[in-house]
Amino acid sequence: MHIPDGYISPEIAAIMAITSAAFLVWSWKKAKTTYPQSLAPLLAVSSAFVFAAQMINFPIPYGTSGHLVGGTFLSIVLGPYAAILSMTIVLLMQALFFADGGIIALGANIFNMAVIGGLSFFIVKLIAGNSTRGKRFFLGVFAASWLSVVLGALACGLQIGFSPAFSAVGGITVTVPAMLFWHVLIGLGEAAITTAVTTQLYKMQPAVLNGLAFLKRGAT
Amino acid sequence: MKGYIKALILIIVGLAILIPFASSYPDGLEKVAETLKVEETEPLWKGLMPDYTTPAIEHPYLSTLAAGLCGLTIVSAAAYTLGNLISKPTGQKR
Repeated sequence: MHIPDGYISPEIAAIMAITSAAFLVWSWKKAKTTYPQSLAPLLAVSSAFVFAAQMINFPIPYGTSGHLVGGTFLSIVLGPYAAILSMTIVLLMQALFFADGGIIALGANIFNMAVIGGLSFFIVKLIAGNSTRGKRFFLGVFAASWLSVVLGALACGLQIGFSPAFSAVGGITVTVPAMLFWHVLIGLGEAAITTAVTTQLYKMQPAVLNGLAFLKRGAT
Repeated sequence: MKGYIKALILIIVGLAILIPFASSYPDGLEKVAETLKVEETEPLWKGLMPDYTTPAIEHPYLSTLAAGLCGLTIVSAAAYTLGNLISKPTGQKR
């Protein structure tokens, strides 16, 4: 879902950059007052996991592929604020070093994956309530991770659809359904991987799941 | 700290095993662009390791693995620094 440069207009890119910057400032401020102990090693390892996972594309039907985005996963482990910042680091490094996602499109990519991914935490919370175990929690994780990809794709479909390169071939009436079609499927992969990894992590290392503590405390 | 290093090693091993199985099909957005015949323009910035390859290494598996290891190092270091900025530095008591 990484948008390369050239797909979105400078205007859309600027709007998305400003929006994402506002979310980053908000996350930074919230994070500063949220974490009682050092988050550094956990932040390093979970960001590394997401970077590695994004390199491994899984095939979906009709000759297309997708990969884990990992926003919901990060939000469960780190809480929503550090998750947004963590994903931003991954996206920034991908754009700078690997030309995965454009430089001008970075704001849009941060919004579609980091902001929506991090905020999907609140979908988990909505479904699971304060429960961090059992069916409701994992249902919440599954639904939130699927939705994070579908909503990210919707945002991406709108951004490219309103830009000249794609408005010339039909605009949002074409790009939004097309993006949603593929990402409804890719989202299932996201949901399956996120739920499986979270389940394993919960069994092996429940203390690591900082974000779960947020669920209990009410995400403040 | 030991647990985190173990986890990092597990991530590297997982990546090394899974790289050959990664699908080379276009991703969702690339597929949409392909279907609509929207061409990707010449990128403004090609990055140092375009498409997760190391220009100096010819072998495709090793080239991608090396790029992955570099990426993991850069991302972990940046995230660790961020962690120290937004929370109490490791080892420092409140």
